[in-house]
Amino acid sequence: MHPIPRADRGAGGAGKSPHSSVEFVFDRSWVDELAERAARNGPWDDWTLFALAVEAERAKLVTSFDELQSLRCLPAFEPMPHQIATARKVLREMGGRAILADEVGLGKTIEAGLILKEYIVRGLVRRALILVPASLVLQWVRELNQKFGIPATAQKKAHTWHADFVVASIDTAKREPHRELILSRDYDMLIVDEAHKLKNRKTSNYQFIQQLRKKYCLLLTATPVQNDMDELFNLITLLKPGQLGGQSEFVANFVADKRLPKNEDRLQEALSAVMIRNRRSDGGIAFTKRIVRNIEVKLSPEEKALYDAVTGFVRERYDESGRDLASMLSLVTLQREVCSSRDAVFVTLFNLFKKTAEDSPMRAKIWELVEFIRRIRANSKAEKALELIRETGDKTIVFTEYRATQEYLLQFLKQHGIHAVPYRGGMNRGKKDWMMDLFRGRAQVLVATEAGGEGINLQFCHHMINFDLPWNPMRVEQRIGRVHRLGQTNDVKIYNLYTTGTIEEHIVRLLHEKINLFEMVVGELDDILERLEREEQPLEQRLARLVLEAKGDADIRRGIDALGRSINRLRADAKRTASAGGPEAALPVLSVVPDGPDAAAEGRP
Amino acid sequence: MNAKQIHRFVERYLDATGCAILEKSPAHFKVKLSPAADRELTNRPYYWSFVDRTGVEPETMTLLLVTDPAKYDAMTTGVKAGGGGDGQAAQAGGSGPAADGRQAAQTGGSGPASQAVPPGARPEAQADGAGSPAGAPGAAEQAGMAALSRSFGFVPAGIGARVPRDDLYFGSRRLEQLFAAARRGGRFVCLFQQPDERALHPYDSLPCTPWLGVNVKVGFVCDMKREELHAFGVSLATGAVVEGFFDRLQGMKLPPRLPANVHVTGASLSLKKAADLIEQALMRKLKAYDYGWAAAANGRLKEELAQLAHYYEPLVESAGEGEKESIAAQYEARKEEIRWQLAPRVVAEVVNAGLFHLTGLA
Repeated sequence: MHPIPRADRGAGGAGKSPHSSVEFVFDRSWVDELAERAARNGPWDDWTLFALAVEAERAKLVTSFDELQSLRCLPAFEPMPHQIATARKVLREMGGRAILADEVGLGKTIEAGLILKEYIVRGLVRRALILVPASLVLQWVRELNQKFGIPATAQKKAHTWHADFVVASIDTAKREPHRELILSRDYDMLIVDEAHKLKNRKTSNYQFIQQLRKKYCLLLTATPVQNDMDELFNLITLLKPGQLGGQSEFVANFVADKRLPKNEDRLQEALSAVMIRNRRSDGGIAFTKRIVRNIEVKLSPEEKALYDAVTGFVRERYDESGRDLASMLSLVTLQREVCSSRDAVFVTLFNLFKKTAEDSPMRAKIWELVEFIRRIRANSKAEKALELIRETGDKTIVFTEYRATQEYLLQFLKQHGIHAVPYRGGMNRGKKDWMMDLFRGRAQVLVATEAGGEGINLQFCHHMINFDLPWNPMRVEQRIGRVHRLGQTNDVKIYNLYTTGTIEEHIVRLLHEKINLFEMVVGELDDILERLEREEQPLEQRLARLVLEAKGDADIRRGIDALGRSINRLRADAKRTASAGGPEAALPVLSVVPDGPDAAAEGRP
Repeated sequence: MNAKQIHRFVERYLDATGCAILEKSPAHFKVKLSPAADRELTNRPYYWSFVDRTGVEPETMTLLLVTDPAKYDAMTTGVKAGGGGDGQAAQAGGSGPAADGRQAAQTGGSGPASQAVPPGARPEAQADGAGSPAGAPGAAEQAGMAALSRSFGFVPAGIGARVPRDDLYFGSRRLEQLFAAARRGGRFVCLFQQPDERALHPYDSLPCTPWLGVNVKVGFVCDMKREELHAFGVSLATGAVVEGFFDRLQGMKLPPRLPANVHVTGASLSLKKAADLIEQALMRKLKAYDYGWAAAANGRLKEELAQLAHYYEPLVESAGEGEKESIAAQYEARKEEIRWQLAPRVVAEVVNAGLFHLTGLA
């Protein structure tokens, strides 16, 4: 093992110390060199440069232990107050080891960059390793360079490991030959993004991180604990072994049940020493408004005919299958696709056709549906979308769930003279970045199938069209989160397109009117969905069952209303327990607010 | 450092390294680097080793160093509005109209590539563009830059542009680089004080005494850090130690060669001895400081070590044979890290040092 403070020991006469509590090092390496030059009478350096060197050192001098020095070095942007407060706290009170657990969109990257910059300015960090999911590597490199002037490099080839500030994907880093190289070095600072992936100590990622040698360490995650006490313990132990005691003590002291903490005050205290979680609802963080408009689209008679035919087809299969939901999910997809575009339906039908035996009576039925598709001349929704895009005349992102719809829309927009580019999960990193660049540049519209893909930031755009709505509200929230985040300076306009007389109409009603999704706070939604799942089936499946079993429109309406009621009940529960701070408080571990009272999860984003 | 100080700093650096300033204003310099400065600043080791081995005439780079970006942008935009952008730059003899037209286009706003962008989206398109404020040039070049930045995440300003532009604000890379270059290029000096001409009698010879001047940066380090800069001077004749020596040199004329009518008195102290005296003086000074911060750091260190022990010792104890070693190693590693992070230390680092021959017999 290497003696660790190598840099500080170096060549120098360590000797007596001015005080018993400190080690003293006086660098004397210069004496010999000066004597040597004096003996040979040169070569001597330039007096102006000599003076400039002293001036430079004076300017860079860290005059105080406390004050943030990096702030005067960031002309490119101004961090938000909660980000500065976080950086200050990590430096002063946490000694540079912390879990940054802000809610999505509050700028954890900025906080980490600020802390890193501060340590660099103070000369305490010369070499840092930043491990992030592959899809975020370039974004990190860009942010660190552009916002903080930190010369970070994306790890590409073996030799890039020698750079001082390397951003790499953790999956690459943990594999040989990289692994050995990394483990043979000391890093002044380690930053791990999306650290909730490190919750299982048996995984190779966890063990790899555990073996790294580092001085300061930041773990970033928006979901610090997925409601599991074990995972919480593992994450904290990675950062600071012993902070929550040994495993058995932890269980004895803090765990009532796998998902339930006890002695919460003490747990909170122990956590707040290593974890900072800022929340949107804390206030002081200014977000622009979300303006939601639901746009009704009337299906043409041909489209309506297709919709009815598909609905009939799906129901029939469901009854045939003996009401087995699991095997029906692909057919439910069909029902949803029919609200999106005929192209999407066609692709699914075609695949279904290929899968069914040649002599199956199904084939004829599928063929009938294809006939319905053939009769459709225009896509009413696409026309509506075009109208909206023309109306705004501004950058717009269009989300759809289906690849076929995406292709269709791209072509449709192109025909009408609108420059649109695609974005989807299957693209490789380079292509995704390219599409982003195009959208930032000359393209007016981005048609995306994927909103997840952590870290697409589209603050420069504030119009968003949900061409079709996912049935999983989290995915809706993720979509919105791409655009409605810190740095967005305009009110965000969200248009939900829905076709009348179809299941979509009900979904929009549920998400918008019943659970008011579009104005909810991120953490809150997360919590509610989890509760829903614990009680019954996930929301998506409940919706699917409802659709398949309902006798008619009124029936669906009743079902949706009931669903809305039960979600609202859970939500009220969540609020009550959160404000009462009772034991069932939805694991307030999730909502640690070290700097203030644990505000109820309420308020507009 | 404010913009003015930075401007002054840059000017003196360029001057000292013999760079040719092609164009300047209170907000910027356009400069053709001298070979020495080019080696320091452009990060082209391969090119320079090629030059060294083949002996070809080196072609140094031209840089645009902007010390006050806001003012500079306002200025160049203004020039463009007046319709004289290219004219003015070409007159200044820069690197030809192509490069300058490009700058004007950039600050003026409408590159050919951005015409199709709807008005509301324009500013972001430009600001976030290819990561290269200097080169928002022709569409092809811009696409090239965008491709590079997609591949590497970030391309430092102006790679590929003929005259890369650097904004020098405090904390910017280029300024950091200038700081480092100054430090590398100004480590050891040997200078003589030029006496006041009028005070001299033509046949007299003034005695001057050799001094060792040392600039020391003292860092008080635990997981945080504070620094001080001290300038000590020791008379090599008498062993007298003074502080604030560097400031005392300001305003003196200090040529590198012995002036006429001056002679150097002998030194009675070796440099080694003088260095000892400085260390002692520093030590005396440091003894009077408050070490509360160090005690606090030691306290935290102790706590953290105890916490680690509490966690690891039972774990090592109860581990099976196969695991014992790896857990113990992990424990050791964690302890080392904590010491590395927290152990309080005072580190005195010498920025630069020199021999100064000053008139008088002190």
